[in-house]
Amino acid sequence: MAETTFDAIVIGSGISGGWAAKELCDKGLKVLLLERGRDVVHRKDYPTATKDPWQLAHRGEMPPSVLKENPIVAKCYAFGEATEHFFVKDKEHPYIQEKPFDWIRAYQVGGKSLLWARQVQRWSKFEFDAPARDGFATPWPVTYDDMAPWYSHVEKFAGISGNKDGLENLPDGEFLPPWEMNVLEKHLVEQIKTNYPDRPAIIGRCAHLTKPAEIHIQQGREQCQARSLCERGCPFGGYFSSNASTIPWAQKSGNLTLKTDSVVHSIIFDEKQKKATGVKVIDAKTKQPTEYSARIIFVNAACINTNLILLNSKSDRFANGLGNDNGLLGKYICFHNYRGSITASYDGFSDFVTYGRRPTMIIMPSFRNVRKQEMPFKRGYLIAFTANRYQGTSYDGIGTELKDSMTQAGAWGIYMMMQGETIPKEKNHVRLSTEQKDQWGVPQLITSVDYDENDELLVKDFHEQGVDMLTKAGCKNIYPRDSKQAPGLDIHEMGGVRMGKDPKTSMLNKWNQFHNVANVFVTDGACMTSTGTQNPSLTFMAITARAANYAADEFKKGHL
Amino acid sequence: MVAAATGGVVIGGEFFLAGCKNPDAGVGVSSTFTEADIAFLDEVAETIFPKTSTPGAKDAKVGQYMTVMVNDCYDQKQQEAFHAGMGSLNEACKKMHGHDFMKAEPAHRKELLVSLDKERAEYQKTKKKEDPNHYFQYFKQLTIMGYFTSKEGREGATNYQPVPGKYVGDVPYKKGDKVLTGLS
Repeated sequence: MAETTFDAIVIGSGISGGWAAKELCDKGLKVLLLERGRDVVHRKDYPTATKDPWQLAHRGEMPPSVLKENPIVAKCYAFGEATEHFFVKDKEHPYIQEKPFDWIRAYQVGGKSLLWARQVQRWSKFEFDAPARDGFATPWPVTYDDMAPWYSHVEKFAGISGNKDGLENLPDGEFLPPWEMNVLEKHLVEQIKTNYPDRPAIIGRCAHLTKPAEIHIQQGREQCQARSLCERGCPFGGYFSSNASTIPWAQKSGNLTLKTDSVVHSIIFDEKQKKATGVKVIDAKTKQPTEYSARIIFVNAACINTNLILLNSKSDRFANGLGNDNGLLGKYICFHNYRGSITASYDGFSDFVTYGRRPTMIIMPSFRNVRKQEMPFKRGYLIAFTANRYQGTSYDGIGTELKDSMTQAGAWGIYMMMQGETIPKEKNHVRLSTEQKDQWGVPQLITSVDYDENDELLVKDFHEQGVDMLTKAGCKNIYPRDSKQAPGLDIHEMGGVRMGKDPKTSMLNKWNQFHNVANVFVTDGACMTSTGTQNPSLTFMAITARAANYAADEFKKGHL
Repeated sequence: MVAAATGGVVIGGEFFLAGCKNPDAGVGVSSTFTEADIAFLDEVAETIFPKTSTPGAKDAKVGQYMTVMVNDCYDQKQQEAFHAGMGSLNEACKKMHGHDFMKAEPAHRKELLVSLDKERAEYQKTKKKEDPNHYFQYFKQLTIMGYFTSKEGREGATNYQPVPGKYVGDVPYKKGDKVLTGLS
């Protein structure tokens, strides 16, 4: 008979679930880590990691029969012939889009931590303080000072490259050596700073080992090789993933039980004990149900699925989903506005090229509404840009001239994009279908998430400012573009189980505990009160480590 | 989770619009190519990317590559345009040189394709967005993509560094140096 009772259960093995498991195991708790997908073992299960383009049937492009059957995941930039095995196919996991929402999922051990874009900018006090200052969301129950030590904690272990830039609105962290900027990027940064002193841009901080420290060597990871094939899984462990880092670490402690193919149906709430006692799991293959029990439950199924599990956790006490006394569960779903981008070219610097493929961009933290509300829109956007030389000086002609041209470095091209904060709104929500279920008997999810006027204003402002900065820096052929992409494709979905000080307007307290179910913690994107403009994964990791350490301490004190 | 646009080069950028990102591809007929078709496509590709001190398109088996991509990654309209284009190219050769493309000598083949490339460039400039591409656009872009994603082209004609080991922002470059490429 397999063990079914543990100290803690962690639902989901992605970027935050991996952290919850590691921290709880490090504290000596016996942990069950549940993953609905298959196992992906670091190195062993990266079948395309070192394949040359000619070793792939369509040289990396995806056969269209697959794209046709999977119109949602097909939109994802990282989905291709070399990576498709790490993505959920639309057909296998249907959901209902009341409004267009591209829900990109990765059901396997490691989840999207295998596929993420690995950019890790800290939030600053301005983001944590903003909801209270500007009144656009319920106030955060934590401050930057609460979070700073936990940012440091996860940065040291994950391995973050970066430069100490001393920016108040993009705080420094625990950094490995930074990546370099190239000659054109340095020129652009200088020109922008000359024209706009309040718009410093820095080399991005990313979860790549530029120089592994002792803690990374202990994890068996090696220096990033600048291959830029990260989404295939990295055999060097050059970037942070649950697979390369937190999960094997937790396994080494001897305290972890990892169960794959385990679809969590719901969390079991016990009326008499007034707490959750375990989870109901459906075997992904046999469809057989099993119940596991534990004193602590961490829900890290990734934002939308965390909402789904909680909404489906119904009891006499909580008829509308776990902890849902205020009716706000599944509401205030937010995301990042990625619609705006700009391309440009630059004449000059033709006597330099770059070597290697750098896994980060140049980052300009938000310069709108930072210290006070001053624009006709709320919040702002972070800008990321990069400059690279194209392959080929010209596509004109035929024969040796064309071949000569195409085997040389061409003109410099610039790509610039926005990452805009979106305002959490009650009407942007997910809920359960009352009619349709999936093959595991779990109700299908309905997504009802949309842009608003504020998002339109952010795109417009980004386009105006971006074009202006590039023009003044001497760029040419400047083309702004609005992709009009649906929410979700940013893969930065957040909210639905938001943290807050007041149980009437939020679901979780400052330790990510339900206000009314003390032994259930939510620490993935679902807990986010607002979105900031920074890439969110680092904050998910830090908030998870903080909550897990609190939970372990409370467990040992007998409070949980 | 949008990717950081990484330090590598982009082959062709907006020039390459067709291909497997087309959701309607691969749903009509599965077109067939004969050995003779592949030989014909190899010669077209070789004229576009000839053997020099580095391998040519024929060494890189670009003809075969084209048939795989057209069959698997083009929609019915594009497949039809591609097949019709093979005929059109041959007809244009007859008109210009009085015989089939396969019988034309290299200089004549080149003269023909130079003229078709000009026609292509003009057409692409003025065509409406929804109009299909000029057929020579398909031949040209498939040649370039097929060549640079082949072992012969990638290793022979570019500075192929699948595992660079590091990133260096500024490396001196002079005209004629081979462009750096990676695995993708």
